[in-house]
Amino acid sequence: MAAASIIGPGTVVRGNVRGNGSLEVRGRVEGDIEVDGDVALGEDAAVNGNVSGAQIIVAGQVAGDLRGSEAVMLERGARVVGDLSAPRIGIAEGALVRGGVRTEGEAPAPRRAAVLPARRGGERSDFARPAPKPIAVPAPKPAQPAPAAVAAKPAPAAAPALAVEASGGPPAPVVPALGKGVRGKKKTKRS
Amino acid sequence: MAGTVIGDGLTIDGEVTGDDEVVVHGTVRGTLTTSEAVSVAAGGVVEADVTASSVSVAGHVTGNVTAQDRIDIQAGGRLVGDIKSARFTIADGASFKGSVDMEV
Repeated sequence: MAAASIIGPGTVVRGNVRGNGSLEVRGRVEGDIEVDGDVALGEDAAVNGNVSGAQIIVAGQVAGDLRGSEAVMLERGARVVGDLSAPRIGIAEGALVRGGVRTEGEAPAPRRAAVLPARRGGERSDFARPAPKPIAVPAPKPAQPAPAAVAAKPAPAAAPALAVEASGGPPAPVVPALGKGVRGKKKTKRS
Repeated sequence: MAGTVIGDGLTIDGEVTGDDEVVVHGTVRGTLTTSEAVSVAAGGVVEADVTASSVSVAGHVTGNVTAQDRIDIQAGGRLVGDIKSARFTIADGASFKGSVDMEV
């Protein structure tokens, strides 16, 4: 099993970092990171290049694209200028992002998110909690025979459940189309 | 605990500079400069000029090595390059080819 690597806080790497195993960056990397294991960027980490790995957890600064084969998670201290791409993407409150966000790719079986090593104060990672149970979004009631000339198209039966498990790739974001002339319905209490 | 650990399976192509201790189990190509100790473990490959406070070689190093304190080549270690340091040891079983400058 490939080992874990660490780029310490006082280290600057000017060049590419590639290989097997997981990588924790607490220093600076000016170049691309491409590993097949997990990548954890600490709070003081700064990466000027693209990052590619299995599960990428960012709490530092990145100027480049993040491409995870499993997940990309931005923690509160993350400052990212670049695109995020992974089957599962999480952006914690407080993270700063500027770039495209795209959930794509095969989602493997979810596992408990890796926890960043203890930071000052020993806060836990925002994502270190068990995966939430899938919440099924109930299909909306069919449109009432109201003034609407064209009934609103009912949301597809396979309304994207907010399931963490996905048998194929993550569902494409679906916005139910509204027919022409449909207006919002005032909610009235049913007697 | 070492500041920087380059694990087995990881390859760094470029300059590594800093003030952390560096332990190399993987591969470093380029230059390696630190103000602390560098340890190239058995299986580690360094194709770079190394500058550090002390350097311990149990793997393969190809490049010039300069240390403020000492350079040690362990048994099984191999260093091809010039070395410059105040203190220097080669263990029985180590390989070395290059010139030695002990700042005499």
